[in-house]
Amino acid sequence: MSDPILALEGVHAHIGGHHILQGVSLEARPGRATVLLGRNGAGKTTTLRTIMGLVRASAGTIRLAGERIERRRTFEIARLGVGYVPEDQAVLSHLTVEENFRLAMPCESEESARRLDTVFRLFPALKTYWQAKAGVLSGGQKQMVAIGRAFVTDHRLLLIDEPSKGLAPVVVDHLIESLRHMRDETTVILVEQNFHMARHVGTDYFILDDGRVVHGGRMEDLVNDHTVKKRYLGIG
Amino acid sequence: MASRAVPLNPTARGAGRSRDRARLLAAGVRALVLLGFVLGPWIFPSFRAMDVLAKIMIFAVVVASYDLIIGYTGIVSFAHGMFFGLGAYCLALVIHHGGEPRGFHLAVALVLAVGLSSVLASAVAFFSLRVKAIFFAMVTLALAEFAHILGGQWTSLTLGEDGVSFRLPGVLGVGWNGGGVLGVGVDGRLITYYAVLGVSVAVFVGLLRFVESPVGRVIESIRENERRATALGYRTFHYQLLATVVGSAGASIAGVLFAGWVRYVNPESVLGIPVMLNILLMVIIGGLGTLYGGIVGAAFIVAAETWLPELQKAASTLLPGVEIAQRLAERWVLYFGILFMLVVFLFPKGIMGAVRQILARREPARTGGQ
Repeated sequence: MSDPILALEGVHAHIGGHHILQGVSLEARPGRATVLLGRNGAGKTTTLRTIMGLVRASAGTIRLAGERIERRRTFEIARLGVGYVPEDQAVLSHLTVEENFRLAMPCESEESARRLDTVFRLFPALKTYWQAKAGVLSGGQKQMVAIGRAFVTDHRLLLIDEPSKGLAPVVVDHLIESLRHMRDETTVILVEQNFHMARHVGTDYFILDDGRVVHGGRMEDLVNDHTVKKRYLGIG
Repeated sequence: MASRAVPLNPTARGAGRSRDRARLLAAGVRALVLLGFVLGPWIFPSFRAMDVLAKIMIFAVVVASYDLIIGYTGIVSFAHGMFFGLGAYCLALVIHHGGEPRGFHLAVALVLAVGLSSVLASAVAFFSLRVKAIFFAMVTLALAEFAHILGGQWTSLTLGEDGVSFRLPGVLGVGWNGGGVLGVGVDGRLITYYAVLGVSVAVFVGLLRFVESPVGRVIESIRENERRATALGYRTFHYQLLATVVGSAGASIAGVLFAGWVRYVNPESVLGIPVMLNILLMVIIGGLGTLYGGIVGAAFIVAAETWLPELQKAASTLLPGVEIAQRLAERWVLYFGILFMLVVFLFPKGIMGAVRQILARREPARTGGQ
């Protein structure tokens, strides 16, 4: 098995005096999509934010391709090749869709041009709204901008937080298809409450509960493990 | 970054045409305003009108440079007036201490103003941008007041409260006379007016290019969501620092122009808190994050300050002997306050902000719900 591109070992994190992550250990392997599952407040989003340096890890190690990054600042982690799509449809609403994309690709290259073509193929609607202010787009369109913007840069790792949140089922299905395509080109860590999306996008999973990883493995095993699903995710 | 041509979907063509029309209209208005300033001395052939136009140009630059800091970058600074004053004092002191006025004094003053303001702005930003916004505002307010006191107390350099009166060299001098063109005298004052116009337009266009550049987009993204910009890999502090330095340098150039136009500076006229307050009022009236709002805000305040005091004269002419009218007319500052409140009430995003909002509403809806 290939070396993990990202490895967390005993990571602790505090937010406002609350001990949110209590020793999270997990791995993401290249070319795979790892889904973080768990109930609300389990620490999934905080895990992504801690990887990204937005929340400082108080203990433990985070390695990106073997290099420790838990003390690095957010912009340094981003420059090491980690893309981040937060859960609040992270578009810059005062800028146009085009400007949102240009921020993500400060240097245009053959690779970014190819990726932009892929984004247009996956989300053709973006061409229509290319010159529109991102703030006036619908929730689904904003999510397309946020995910597409993260994808155009040649990231080693893409962190995506609840892309299906608040979206209509038809949009979620479109996103599933797009994310499945993206995972072939980039390693993805996905936080998701929607199990339908998680099972169709994810190849591996970790379940978090009370700030700890309580279960992990291959997604196809979880799909058939009704006991684990019932116990930690509340689905049968 | 080179622009990448992305073909638009046919459904967007209508919107594209509408955008082209809006751009054409905006270009027409810009050309008209510029023409107004160019022909101003011929349209309104009086020194007073020329003085108002020159001050509008100068303060438009100050306000636009302040807008870059407060409107585009979201940094609240009260030291902008200080940078304006620094520029003004650079010209006054270089000429005053440099002996007979020479052309190179102007270049030295300009370089000195930009250099000093850039160094000072870098130092202030370096120590204050890392703290919370309110502390940055407090630090800049304290610094501005310190500069004001220094201007009054360091008499060996600044001549204290008496201020510095000086002459400009060559064709810019008041005594120079080049005859007349179409009934308007071509003298040192007119040449200075066009020098102010040329430099103001150059600085304003420079600021526009800056905010429309890729760096400008990053700065806007920082204002909107600093964490998001950081997560995209941008070292936000460097961009905030750059915006502060560029904005402060712009204000100092405007200060040089102001001193060159008025030919006199003292601490109260260029470093006092009222100067900073005026800049704040102008940017609020014009609209934050628009740059062009600087011209509107400056025109509003300069025109109101020039012509509202005339009310007294008008009252004594139109209503002689009516004491209440005379007294009401004396309180022109009160009307200025009411006028300001009305503008803020009617245009909470400033006049240019309101214009942009109206234009945005006129654009056809181009998003579908998903």
